[in-house]
Amino acid sequence: MEYLYTIIILVGLYVVLASSFNLVIGYAGLISIAHPVFYAIGAYGSALLARDFGWPAPLAMLAGALLAVAASILLALPSLRVSGDYLLIASIGFQLGLLEIIKNVSWTGGAGGLTNIPAAFAPSTPHWVYAVIVVVVAALSVLAVRAVAHGAYGRAMSALRDDELAFSMLGRNAVAMKVGSFALGCGLAGFAGALYAHQFRYLAPDQFEILQSSAILTMVVVGGLRTTWGPVVGAVMLQALPQAITFMNLPPSLLGPLQGLLFTGLVLVFMFIRPQGLIPAADVWTGAKEAHDVGRR
Amino acid sequence: MLSADIIAQILWTSLATSSYAVLFALAFALVLKVNRVFNFAQAAMMTVSFYAAHATVALAGLPSWLGFLAALAGSLAIALLIEVLGFRTLRRRRAAQMFVFIFTLIISELVAYIAMLVFGTWPATIFPSLFWPVTLVGGIAVSAWDLPAVGAMLLAVAALFGFLRFARMGQFMVAVSDNPDLAELYGIAKERVFLFAMVISALLVALAMFLYGTRAQVQPTTSIELMLFAIAATIIGGIGNLWGAAITALLLGVVQNASVLFIPSEWQGFLLYVFLFLAIVFFPNGIRLPQRSRRLTRKTPTPTLDASPTSDPQKV
Amino acid sequence: MSAVVEIRGLEKRFGGIVVADGIDLTLTAGRVLGLIGPNGAGKTSLFNLISGVVRPDAGSVRLDGRPLDGMKMHQRARLGLSRTWQNLRLFPSLSVLDNLMVAPRRYAGESLLRLAFFPGVVRQAEAESRRKALQILERTGLADVANKPAGGLTFGQQKLVGVARALMNDARCLLLDEPMAGVEGQAYQTIQNVVRDLAASGVAVCVVEHNVAFIRDLCDEGVFMFAGRVLARGAVADLIADPRLTELYFGT
Ligand SMILES: Nc1ncnc2c1ncn2[C@@H]1O[C@H](COP(=O)(O)OP(=O)(O)OP(=O)(O)O)[C@@H](O)[C@H]1O
Ligand SMILES: [Mg+2]
Repeated sequence: MEYLYTIIILVGLYVVLASSFNLVIGYAGLISIAHPVFYAIGAYGSALLARDFGWPAPLAMLAGALLAVAASILLALPSLRVSGDYLLIASIGFQLGLLEIIKNVSWTGGAGGLTNIPAAFAPSTPHWVYAVIVVVVAALSVLAVRAVAHGAYGRAMSALRDDELAFSMLGRNAVAMKVGSFALGCGLAGFAGALYAHQFRYLAPDQFEILQSSAILTMVVVGGLRTTWGPVVGAVMLQALPQAITFMNLPPSLLGPLQGLLFTGLVLVFMFIRPQGLIPAADVWTGAKEAHDVGRR
Repeated sequence: MLSADIIAQILWTSLATSSYAVLFALAFALVLKVNRVFNFAQAAMMTVSFYAAHATVALAGLPSWLGFLAALAGSLAIALLIEVLGFRTLRRRRAAQMFVFIFTLIISELVAYIAMLVFGTWPATIFPSLFWPVTLVGGIAVSAWDLPAVGAMLLAVAALFGFLRFARMGQFMVAVSDNPDLAELYGIAKERVFLFAMVISALLVALAMFLYGTRAQVQPTTSIELMLFAIAATIIGGIGNLWGAAITALLLGVVQNASVLFIPSEWQGFLLYVFLFLAIVFFPNGIRLPQRSRRLTRKTPTPTLDASPTSDPQKV
Repeated sequence: MSAVVEIRGLEKRFGGIVVADGIDLTLTAGRVLGLIGPNGAGKTSLFNLISGVVRPDAGSVRLDGRPLDGMKMHQRARLGLSRTWQNLRLFPSLSVLDNLMVAPRRYAGESLLRLAFFPGVVRQAEAESRRKALQILERTGLADVANKPAGGLTFGQQKLVGVARALMNDARCLLLDEPMAGVEGQAYQTIQNVVRDLAASGVAVCVVEHNVAFIRDLCDEGVFMFAGRVLARGAVADLIADPRLTELYFGT
């Protein structure tokens, strides 16, 4: 039972990660691989605030998410000012650079990891409570991304992806819109990180490496870019698949690379054989009222 | 503490280590200039060429020149695969820029994971020892690695320069990079030019990686960091400016080596990310040097009232 | 009659090509100005300079007395500058109606904070903009295709959508770049009527067009551009009649 809750929590967190990454890379069309690092910022931020400054867990979690928002704006503003291409390069540098810092300073626990993170609830609380909370957060994230993508904001994001010049000439602020959607996506990832930290109570920098980036990217690309349910399907499927490999009792030195191979290989296969993913997106943007049939065609 | 000897030593070491850095930067900048692709798959070419040499020399015990050939072959094979199966398909489909980015990056990661599975994650080398005999030349320690490495780099750079300047294919490359559509009009086959740029980039990468692997340990993830250095140099050097990228790689090498004096060693690696950020924030379009009149600028006379503009009478 | 757009000493060159060579021009409220000149004269470039797509080397542009220099495109649009594009630039993944609905001068749904905290305000603004978009589509004869993807229309219809989209701004100044190219039939009269109504309501309009009949019918005044310079200004009929200009135009 315990194991089942853990799986539910992990799947739920990946649903949040994949949906929010879909907002960034799919709807906003911003290429970043640093999504796991915002997950890390939320996790470390919340964990340290709760552990070393005694903040209550819910407050620390919110602060962790806001920290991720702030960091994402810091990353996006200078790189997006120039052109979208630079965001990807900046994101690679940001991810590797920040992990380098986490590994090298003592107050994050260094490469050995951060331990003794306070739990969110007293030990007497039944374990299913946290699983329910995570599932609710996951559902809310999916709905929030969907609402944003199929509302007035989503219409504008769609236009921006089509033609940035024409978009700007209509009086829309393209940079603000890109930074805004990036910050929202990264904030959700940060919140997921905070939820992770107070449940598993241990964080290590390798959990947020590029392997994670490929995992999340795979979930979105395989599930279906720019669809509500694609990333959810991708997250559930790809979280279950590596679990199956875990059962094969491989040594960890093989397990990581094998998972990585699986993720990257799947992205390649889908990219060339079924670029639209399992759930293809509609060609034309639809507003909220018509949104229920998006992705089912 | 900052004696002339130390400065001279730092400059020499920087020059020596820049041998591979310059080549990585040139390889990256060339593909960016000609194919207009941020080729993050360069890291895959680097990883494959290193492990090909490692397998040949360190594991199979074959002579080092065979190792070098293996590095060349590995790098070329990957480059051709990427171009023929990847880039061509994506171009044909007019895939969004995002897919090209994802593709190149994923290839590099895929190759890194394969390398981890086959060779493990621990550091490896080409030769059993990384130690090279050192001679003192006027107070500067010069290792037996330095001179051949710098020599090889200079030769490669000269060959590239000569190729772009004098060979027909090289001139085509410059033409395509200046204006792909115009080049098409003149019957320059773009596909072949793109392929050729990848081939040259692969050769440069193989040489550079062989040099690197004879001097330092390599892990499957090393290539990505080496590539980031090349990217920083390419951006600061001014996108589309090959020699700017090469010189920037050299200068960044000097800064990195000199930083030993000021920064604790565990933070050395971090400097790379600082470069990358400075490049993106402050020099997104490269450092602007005073404009020299460029050789390739088309000279168009300022239109005057007497000029005869072409127009389509149908439209009136 | 007040000047809406004042252009003074505008200069721009691309390498050796001079696209603006000291242009002085005033667009007046309620008047339609026709801009004619051969291909490559710098007409589109002038629009690009006014709207902020391209930065000038020298000179200034004012809108209602406010200097626009250094402003970004979206800032200029928010001050009431609207334009169409020679090569359409619609949003193909949006329906015709949605193409118009991203175009109002103020777009409430642009801010995530407003969406989160004042969803009512956004909903109301959306309803308002929808009403207005439908009205414009009705007026431009596009009501039937309102829900079709913009990319799937005929070229002429797409051209009309471009004009209709530019109307959403309630602009002080409207720049139309070859609205008639590739358009035929019914649309001729539609565009004429729409532009006239607009001018009557006090908007300053500038039209680039190679269709001289269209310009003559529509414009109060014409300007002849050549090689980045304004060579003549006057009644369109006079400009067309001038043999020197005709010669420059056809390059005989
Ligand atoms: N961004 C640019 N870079 C370089 N040259 C440019 C640029 N924009 C325009 N030009 C050149 O400036 C000249 C004027 O172009 P412009 O588009 O303004 O002409 P036009 O009067 O609109 O012609 P047409 O009637 O064909 O639309 C052309 O020779 C064009 O090639
Ligand atoms: Mg034009």
